[in-house]
Amino acid sequence: MARRFSIATRLFVSAAVWSIAILVVAGFVLSTIQRRVTERGFDERLQVYVQTMAANIAVRNENNVIDPFGLGDPRFSLPLSGWYWQVTRSDVDPPDITASISLFGGRLPRIEEVTTTANGKDPSEGYVTGPDERRLRMLERSLEMPDGAKYLVQIAANSEEIETNVESFRWAMTVSFALLALALGVTTAFQVRFGLLPLARLSNAIGAIRRGAADRIDGRYPDDLAPLASEVNLLIDANREILERARTQVGNLAHALKTPLSVLVNEAANDDTSLAGKVREQTTLMRDQVNWYLDRARAAARAGSIGIVSDVEPVIRGLERAFLKIYADKALAFEIAVPEDLKFRGERQDLEEMIGNLMDNAAKWADRAVRVSGRLMTEETQRVLIEIEIDDDGPGLPPETRADVIKRGRRLDESKPGSGLGLSIVADLASLYGGSLALDVAEIGGLRVRLRLPGA
Amino acid sequence: MRLLVVEDDRDLNRQLVKAFEQVGYAVDEAFDGEEGEFLGETEPYDAVVLDIGLPGKDGVAVLEAWRKAGRKMPVLVLTARDRWSEKVQAFDAGADDYVTKPFHLEEVLARLRALVRRASGHASSDLVCGPVRIDTRTSRVSVNDVTIKLTSLEYRLISYLMHHAGRVVSRTELVEHLYDQDFDRDSNTIEVFVGRLRKKLGVDAIRTIRGLGYVLEPPGNVVTPSASAG
Repeated sequence: MARRFSIATRLFVSAAVWSIAILVVAGFVLSTIQRRVTERGFDERLQVYVQTMAANIAVRNENNVIDPFGLGDPRFSLPLSGWYWQVTRSDVDPPDITASISLFGGRLPRIEEVTTTANGKDPSEGYVTGPDERRLRMLERSLEMPDGAKYLVQIAANSEEIETNVESFRWAMTVSFALLALALGVTTAFQVRFGLLPLARLSNAIGAIRRGAADRIDGRYPDDLAPLASEVNLLIDANREILERARTQVGNLAHALKTPLSVLVNEAANDDTSLAGKVREQTTLMRDQVNWYLDRARAAARAGSIGIVSDVEPVIRGLERAFLKIYADKALAFEIAVPEDLKFRGERQDLEEMIGNLMDNAAKWADRAVRVSGRLMTEETQRVLIEIEIDDDGPGLPPETRADVIKRGRRLDESKPGSGLGLSIVADLASLYGGSLALDVAEIGGLRVRLRLPGA
Repeated sequence: MRLLVVEDDRDLNRQLVKAFEQVGYAVDEAFDGEEGEFLGETEPYDAVVLDIGLPGKDGVAVLEAWRKAGRKMPVLVLTARDRWSEKVQAFDAGADDYVTKPFHLEEVLARLRALVRRASGHASSDLVCGPVRIDTRTSRVSVNDVTIKLTSLEYRLISYLMHHAGRVVSRTELVEHLYDQDFDRDSNTIEVFVGRLRKKLGVDAIRTIRGLGYVLEPPGNVVTPSASAG
């Protein structure tokens, strides 16, 4: 499944996942550090009160009364202000507890969450729940006086200030990290696109070759893609060369075989011996076989050609010029209605072969006129198709024979080379290109042959 | 009628030449492109049979060279490569018709006859001038529906005049179109042949234009067959 994702998606997703993971971890670390820093700052303020209180205890009067206003902060005198102090003398029984007015008769609990374990001198810090059910930040310190008196000093303050501070920092960080993530995403997407641009260009270039819009990959590519582009070009060249060679060989073979065959046929033509008869019979067979296999060899050599597009109109014009001479005695009227920009996706020679055979056939049977029309089909299919219709005003074919020709396809004229309908090689070629051949009645009376081929 | 056969295969060339000679043409032969091109450019042929696959200069190039030099004789192309692309190329180079190898000689003969006939502006294979009639398909000459037996050279003479009926044909032109290039030409012999032909035809169809040559015309109203001798 993962195989189906595009390289761009893979790069983007992996970059995004890692960025987000790193941002989340960084967020946690930063937020923790910030909390520590805020707490330490707060603790330092409480520490001042702890030291003041310790000093107060040290200079306490004979009555052991600790100066309740000694801390100089009015918040300790406001009931339930959130700022409290409490001094517990633990070496007497029951312990003697003095507390700020703000505690309003309540008592401070001991630290539940000790974050720093004191060695006895240092104050321990932590959070407790105060008398008003609020969370308090509290510092504790044990003191032992030279006279043996033991005190526990507790200073507590509302932790809301810390929380607000931490909260606002966290919010600001989340927003800025989210913006950062967004920016990273955008730049990653851009990077991926930019980085993969040559690949997309290469893919387009290969597509253009397949469509026939170009015959090789042009343009400069980055060092890591350039070898691929040149390999593809070499492959295309090799393909063309092999096809070209195959075609030349087939042509040479045709020439090499057919000239001696002509000689044999003619030599035996005016001879009545049984040997001459045999030669006549066998040369006819050989001629048919040679033609049949040459046609197929040519067709096979064609099949692999890629990315070639041919104009239709010049081909038909060229054939018209030829047929005007070939059928000069019939004084046929050729009516050609083919748009100049009609393009066939394939070899010009093959198009010439197909239309040549069909026009030859039409001209052979026509009385006065042959009509050739072409158009681009705007079908709902994804493929671009062109349709070429060749009509004649000859006798045409009855419907049952038409069906027969289509059904029996190539067999109809293989038995009689030259004398058949010439449809065999046309049908073969058309199907090689993924096209089709159909017969119908022409408006001008005779046969209509409809050839459909891939267009461009 | 004088032809040129350009074909590199010696056997096929011989067969073609023989077949054409049998039906009364004077024939020159060439075995490669250069020789063919030279002959076609310098000699006045009534038609040419040209193989496309020639060694040296190929047929299409030879044909193009002829047309470029203004040679207008009809050319029948022989080709083993029977693809339409090659045929169209040959036609665009100036060919008038083609025959695909392997072929029967009859087909080449028929196509060539049609070319020669068309080149001189005749629509039918029967050439008629008054009582004289030539069936070019069978090389049969008849006067008032009576077949006349002619020698090969006499046939060439009447055939050439018939193809160009109504036009004055010089003796030199006749020599050029009746004999192949190896023949020892003497324009005086033409007079002898014309005389013999007039006798055999028995009608006064061939008129002598002094200092210019001969012209084939339907015999005048007053002329009777018996008055044609001389």
